[in-house]
Amino acid sequence: MVENASARPDMTIVRVFDAPRRLVWQAWTEAERLAQWFGPKGFTNPVCEVDARPGGMLRVTMESPDGSLYPMEAVFDEVVAPERLVWTTSVEHDGNVSFDIRQVTTFVERDGKTEVTTQAFVLRSTPEAAEALGGMEQGWSQSLDKLGDVLAGG
Amino acid sequence: MVSNAASDRLSTTLAALADPTRRAILARLASGETSVTELAKPFRMTLPAVSKHLKVLERAGLIARGRSAQWRPCKLDAGPMRDVAEWVQNYRRFWDTSFDRLDDYLIDVQAKEKNRGRKR
Repeated sequence: MVENASARPDMTIVRVFDAPRRLVWQAWTEAERLAQWFGPKGFTNPVCEVDARPGGMLRVTMESPDGSLYPMEAVFDEVVAPERLVWTTSVEHDGNVSFDIRQVTTFVERDGKTEVTTQAFVLRSTPEAAEALGGMEQGWSQSLDKLGDVLAGG
Repeated sequence: MVSNAASDRLSTTLAALADPTRRAILARLASGETSVTELAKPFRMTLPAVSKHLKVLERAGLIARGRSAQWRPCKLDAGPMRDVAEWVQNYRRFWDTSFDRLDDYLIDVQAKEKNRGRKR
């Protein structure tokens, strides 16, 4: 799947961290560091494996305070230390892949602080879903641009 | 982490939305119901081609068609799109709270590095 350069992200979050980029990059790419912050408040990560190189896997199992487990897997598409990290993850339901999300994260250092921008692109639906829809298209890699406009208009 | 009971319907909605023509049709319908002929005008497409797109949107529950045989007006149904918006919102919340924790972690780890430096 090729990232559509003109595609608008479906989610963008920008945050400035009061830490040098080297440290922020390590927090994203070293398992024992990632495990300490990834996931909602109160969650732990009993499984956290990070193989940060193109084609490498990210495997995290989050555990909520009530003991529910939320496994997540992603494949690294791009790893450009210490400035750019791209992975693709599949959102599943009942063991069937429903759609993919490409997560693009960039790290920019300014005056000893680090600006992190993370963007999510919804990439495609499953072939099964495509078939259900009449097989009109295959291998979509379109983002949901204009969704916001439609929602605003509706 | 983000799967939920509604994600099957969600994937159908996302698939239907993953086409620029269909998004344009929805954008047009956001300003009111209209006929297929009217919808087809800006797209330089045959009526059957537009009808195909409308069927996909209808199956995804994004539009409703009127029942009268001659003039079956198309109407936007924003319900499934709210599912998508809700999913995106949950995903955003996930990252927001993770970033709060990352902030805490980075403050913590730098304080520890400083302490270690002092002890040396």
